[in-house]
Amino acid sequence: MIRVTTVLWMLAVMIAGYAMFQVKYEVGRLEDRLAQLNRDVAAAREENRVLNAEWSLLSDPQRLDRLNKAFLHLAPVGTVQIGSLDQIPFRPGSAPAPMLAKAAP
Amino acid sequence: MNPRLNLGHDNPCRPRHFRPGRAANAAPEGPAKAALELSHTRLLIAGALFLLAFAVIAGRLIEVAGFKSGDVRSAHARQAGPSIAARGDIVDRNGVLLATTLDTASLFAVPKQVPGKREAAAQLAAVLPDANADELYARLSSDKGFVWLARQLSPQQKMAVIRLGIPGLEFQPEGKRFYPKGSLAAHVLGFAGLDNTGLAGIERGRDGSLKSGDAPVQLSIDVRLQYILKSELARQIADLNALGGTGIIMDVRTGEVLALVSLPDFDPNDPGAAKPEDLFDRATLGIYEVGSVFKIFNTAMALEDGVSTFASRYDATKPLEVAGYTIHDDDPQNRWLTLPEIFMYSSNIGEARMAADAGTDRQRDFLGRLGLLRQPSFELPEIGTPLVPRPWRPINTMTIAFGHGISVSPLQVASAASAVANGGILYPATILKRPDGPPPQGQRVMSTETSIQMRKLLRLVVEQGTGKLADAPGYLVGGKTGTAEKVENGGYARHALVSSFVGIFPINDPRYLVMALLDEPHIGAKAGGATGGLTAAPAVRRIVERMAPLVGIQPVDENSPEIRRSLVVGLPSPQGRKLAAN
Repeated sequence: MIRVTTVLWMLAVMIAGYAMFQVKYEVGRLEDRLAQLNRDVAAAREENRVLNAEWSLLSDPQRLDRLNKAFLHLAPVGTVQIGSLDQIPFRPGSAPAPMLAKAAP
Repeated sequence: MNPRLNLGHDNPCRPRHFRPGRAANAAPEGPAKAALELSHTRLLIAGALFLLAFAVIAGRLIEVAGFKSGDVRSAHARQAGPSIAARGDIVDRNGVLLATTLDTASLFAVPKQVPGKREAAAQLAAVLPDANADELYARLSSDKGFVWLARQLSPQQKMAVIRLGIPGLEFQPEGKRFYPKGSLAAHVLGFAGLDNTGLAGIERGRDGSLKSGDAPVQLSIDVRLQYILKSELARQIADLNALGGTGIIMDVRTGEVLALVSLPDFDPNDPGAAKPEDLFDRATLGIYEVGSVFKIFNTAMALEDGVSTFASRYDATKPLEVAGYTIHDDDPQNRWLTLPEIFMYSSNIGEARMAADAGTDRQRDFLGRLGLLRQPSFELPEIGTPLVPRPWRPINTMTIAFGHGISVSPLQVASAASAVANGGILYPATILKRPDGPPPQGQRVMSTETSIQMRKLLRLVVEQGTGKLADAPGYLVGGKTGTAEKVENGGYARHALVSSFVGIFPINDPRYLVMALLDEPHIGAKAGGATGGLTAAPAVRRIVERMAPLVGIQPVDENSPEIRRSLVVGLPSPQGRKLAAN
């Protein structure tokens, strides 16, 4: 009777010990992973900052204007180039005509 | 187990020959009893101590496992957070990046640990920018424990140093302030020093929130408008051989500054290379006698206080002599003029008489309400204080009517003119984007009726008066020209002018104010005729034409009946007949 309890207890101790070390190693692995991920996040953030800065540098209107003058020669939109849809006339006789033609027998 | 319990029964496991002796249960007596009790007590105390120890351990176990786990996790998270406290970004109203902090490495050496100093210095000089081998050698040979070799290296330079493989060299991460748009918004942004402290502009004005680095500081500036304003001003300054200039685009409905330019300017990435005059912010720190632009405020005062109406007539037949001064008109009409004509032809005599009718108290009161007599509150630290006459004599009242004898900053003029045009509500100027939602709290400074009358007068100036060159067809620009002689050695310099134009469009429903001011422009070789109408007005026209499509303002037919009706002003013809202005 006593022997059986002792054996059971020893077994329990061994299982608990094994489980504890398992958890300990698992925690260590997760901590390493967390630290790595945090480093990656910090690096990605910094990279993002650099790319943002570069985008802002490249999209500088002073630079775009210089490039435009060198290669594209685009001019600002003038008043005469702006209109509204109702200023565009229908093609003479074209819009209602096809409907009428089909309706007529 | 107490063996006495078994006495009366027969235990089947008990050996036949064994009976428990009575002596075993006999209570000890004498010294034995005392010893037994002592050991009992000791056992009890020891047991209690152990129990206490186990309870503490159990309690701590529960605490660690159950409640304090958050702390453990955040300790790890903190460990891998950003390596340096980065200064916050500055962005424009659309989120375009204007200033950011990039990680750079600064190189230092522990001289004792560097072998072959001569050779190391030569190798370093080859990869570091602006480095000199002798100087590096001198630093490496010093007996200090720590010497800086180079600050703020780029990643490429850092890698080049690492590849040299010299022992005793270390890197310290450091943030470097970077302004990707260069000089575009130089005076708005200002700059920060090597230790990441703001020294000018919004970098200084909002140093606290930038240092905390949480959210970016969002300006009311629109980079596109900023560029339009800057390029057109720069063009005008170059064409007219001016000393400099300044310009402001303001949203008249909120007081937000959409663009603010002062030329000459500087590159915030290299503020050390800037001359003092480049750093000077003419738009906010500079104060000028702005000349006839002030007639906007004088005329609004006369109309608001009921001193004058559109039908009021003033004698402009000859120059006005007051207290030893003579007030002339630049474009003398030599006749009696109605109030709209005075405004249109920019008659100094007429405005002076109007101000004299209103009186000093009314004028001081009204200009004070428009915020023209005290330092405005603004987020940039470079803020000029207006120069106001003390004492305020009647002659001051008459010259202030046409903008002489009082100096204010262009920013103040823009705010006050916005209030005149927007229906009479003064919004404090701001360089920070206002949050979406209900319109900001403004202060009513004049009636809506006065403001509507002023819109008509402002349109009249551009349609028929001194500001014709500002007329961007379809966008209904209204505005006022200003030409002032600069004060030099206590007098006025005839040939050093400050020429300006304040434009507001579309004037029938004002949205934007565009102001341009040029310092000493020249037309041809001489400066005399370089008035605001000839120098600043054309720049405003080009700015309006370029910005209107960007801000979504549709050109309209200026001759459509409803627009004519809303802006028409009755003018007497030379024969005395009333004609509609067109």
